[in-house]
Amino acid sequence: METRSEQKLKIEDVLAQKGVYVGPTVGISMLPMLKNRRDTIVVKPKTERLKRLDVALYKRGDAYVLHRVLQPIDGGYIIRGDNCYSDEKVPENAVFGVLTEFFRKDKHYYCTDEKYIRYAEKRLKTYKRRRFFVLFKAKCVAAIKKVVKPFRKK
Amino acid sequence: MKIKSGLILRSVGGENVVVPVGEMSKKFHGMITLNETGAFLWKFFAEDHTQEEAVAALLAEYDVSEEIAQKDVAKFVEAISQGFAE
Repeated sequence: METRSEQKLKIEDVLAQKGVYVGPTVGISMLPMLKNRRDTIVVKPKTERLKRLDVALYKRGDAYVLHRVLQPIDGGYIIRGDNCYSDEKVPENAVFGVLTEFFRKDKHYYCTDEKYIRYAEKRLKTYKRRRFFVLFKAKCVAAIKKVVKPFRKK
Repeated sequence: MKIKSGLILRSVGGENVVVPVGEMSKKFHGMITLNETGAFLWKFFAEDHTQEEAVAALLAEYDVSEEIAQKDVAKFVEAISQGFAE
């Protein structure tokens, strides 16, 4: 019987040794697809140039980031989280993994599933509308705070 | 003995991997890979059971000798005693 456990692992090391990393999700940047500390991701090493809609794993400083490729560009990618409202330019050599499967609650999805691809396309298609509403909401909240502030008791 | 909550077994490409969720993912940053027997015992110990009950369950499920079953269960129990059981 084999039971192996690696504490404090580095994902890039696991990918190099095992060819796959299975672990929890942390953060809200890929909502609604991946929920913080509830869902499970399956990442494989990047073996070829990623395509639009692929979900890339890369490092920003010491932090691991798993965000969607919007557009491959010369020497890298334009990347953005499904729940983010700004794009990021990531160099090719910073990306070392790609999401291939995930478990959302207990449901298992493959990134080649038609239903998943439809979701990813829709997420990109509705970006401008979502961004408008998020900014609009933020401006409304700021305006309300400005009006309410003078009436607040100290 | 029972496996702590917050550790779930996932089957990925024929491999059995234990992944932490919720609060447990803040404490445990590793990846546990189990073979078929390990996965069977993991599921068995999801409920509170004794080591003897696990040996009996293993004997009922697999065509193995009692000696091997005891050895496997002891090894598994030793492994999960390192912070994965309550």
